[in-house]
Amino acid sequence: MISYFFRRVGELIPVFFLISMIIFFILNAMPGDPLLYSRVENPRVIVQDPERIAKLREYYHLDDPLIVRYFFWLKSLFKGDLGYSSMYKLPVLKLIKSRLPNTLMLTVTAWLIGLIVAFPIGIYSAVKKYSFLDYFFTVLAFIGISLPTFWFALMAIIVFSVFLGWFPAAGVQTYGISGSWNIFVDKLKHLALPSLVLGLVQVAYWVRYIRTSLLEVLDQDYIRTAYSKGAPDKRVILRHALRNAMIPIITIIALDIPYFFGGALIVETIFSWPGMGRLMYEAVLASDYNLAINCLMFITIVTLLSNLLADFLYVLVDPRIRLGSKAV
Amino acid sequence: MIFATKKQIDHIEENTDIVPIGSYWQLVRRKFLSHKLAFFGLIVLTMIVLLVVVGPFFVRVAYDEMDFTALLVPPLSSGHILGTDELGRDVFARLLYGGRISLLVGVCSSLISTGIGLLVGLFSGYFGGIVDRLLMRFVDVMLSIPSFPVLLILTLVFGPGLFNTISVLAIFGWMGVARLVRSVVLSVRENDFIMAARVAGTKKIQILFRHIMPNVIPITIVSATLNLSYAILAESSLSYLGLGIQPPTPSWGNMLQKAMTYILSKGHASQTPWWLIFFPGFMIFLVVLSVNFLGDGLRDALDPRFVSES
Repeated sequence: MISYFFRRVGELIPVFFLISMIIFFILNAMPGDPLLYSRVENPRVIVQDPERIAKLREYYHLDDPLIVRYFFWLKSLFKGDLGYSSMYKLPVLKLIKSRLPNTLMLTVTAWLIGLIVAFPIGIYSAVKKYSFLDYFFTVLAFIGISLPTFWFALMAIIVFSVFLGWFPAAGVQTYGISGSWNIFVDKLKHLALPSLVLGLVQVAYWVRYIRTSLLEVLDQDYIRTAYSKGAPDKRVILRHALRNAMIPIITIIALDIPYFFGGALIVETIFSWPGMGRLMYEAVLASDYNLAINCLMFITIVTLLSNLLADFLYVLVDPRIRLGSKAV
Repeated sequence: MIFATKKQIDHIEENTDIVPIGSYWQLVRRKFLSHKLAFFGLIVLTMIVLLVVVGPFFVRVAYDEMDFTALLVPPLSSGHILGTDELGRDVFARLLYGGRISLLVGVCSSLISTGIGLLVGLFSGYFGGIVDRLLMRFVDVMLSIPSFPVLLILTLVFGPGLFNTISVLAIFGWMGVARLVRSVVLSVRENDFIMAARVAGTKKIQILFRHIMPNVIPITIVSATLNLSYAILAESSLSYLGLGIQPPTPSWGNMLQKAMTYILSKGHASQTPWWLIFFPGFMIFLVVLSVNFLGDGLRDALDPRFVSES
């Protein structure tokens, strides 16, 4: 197990370097120069001191070859120095730190909603396969997979906040509310629509996975044995079948973590939710080179870590694999 | 057996190892047509494609014709079936033209990405060794890059627009196809007929394209439909965010660009121009849903088990 852990982490290191290199090169092809607004040719610039600009260019290694700049960038990244955002005039690390809690609140809630909805439906569909409701959920899952996230979000706003007026359409909280209970309720109301949209989009995929992997297990001999012993249905399904079906399901759910960040980008933009996704979108629109690259690196690291997590969970929950690696 | 009903044939196919009657493509057609949802998808998709391709010839209003005497007219009013937008442009006409652009982007990018995936999968699976390891490592790396944020940045780097949107979507769509094709090639190349071809002195390239590729085509068609629905969804999201197809050229995605301003600016619920948001999104949804149904039907119909039997 421990040797597997180290091997897997070891495999991750070259992948990380390759991806960071690709991202760095792509972003350096982005229009806009980090020092665009302090250039001598720029008429709007206040400080028109060529010497100072030359110094800054040297300080930021802007005239070095790309590959050299990549290593300088990597060095400062490991030191925790993420530089400044040209749009906000604030340290990138500070910006990310202030936005990350909002994204985590949104994605974790959406993730939980997804799980709570997907599991009962998936289990029901597998146990009562080819029943009317199973077909119904199958079609519903297809509908869910085919919904454009941004349209789903906009329609949810139109129905639930414009016409029905149940939930606010944008933001994290209303200003000028007092009392901790009132603030809590207010925050919950703001959270409701974005997290429901983000969570329900994922349900469609998960229901299919849960149904398929549970069906595979229900076909096994040991399930027939359990039934023939006279074990009650509930016990067979939850204890014998679901436990074994969980192995592939857990992997898929861990692998889907980065999709929440991708989906959060659109949902956060629509609901004016001040999170990481919206931050990155703003950075891209404003050609805020340094902010965009750091947001993208952050999301990439989350992706790599969740891939790693999926692999470990797979080994952890499947006792057969553990025995196998001991034998080796 | 000539007069066997479909039900009988299905029964035989399911319960015996007998090679079913008819050629492979006859079987595929019969199985596909019996898949209700796929059939529904095919009909809806055909209707939408016809409407979008032929429709604009019959609509008298141009998609960019502004009429300032009829701003934000609701649907079903005189002359505008689906109403008008904030510049008095006919929503129905824009929907038809926008559909042309959205479908064009989807079809082109999914064809290119499927083509790339097919070639990579074929070479990787057939030649094996270092070529295979390098290509598959590259696929792994590409798959662990979060695709949507990178798509966002790539469209900004290349600049938005029709051609660039197609290329960017194609660059990030081929990995899944490559993996699938490779896995099929790995099993096909162990067959005796490949050995026979090799013994007969057939060139490697010829074996690859003449003998192996036909066996990979079914799975490639299925992944092409998956790619198509992904491409249409991704294009509409990019255009919605203002980084795909640029106005005044309409696409189903960018027709929704100003949606948030309508929602937030209008005071009263009854004044919200919901039709500007509902119709373009619904078209995207309908097309993607039909393509997904179609893909599911094709997957069942093109089941590779038949390939090895026939």
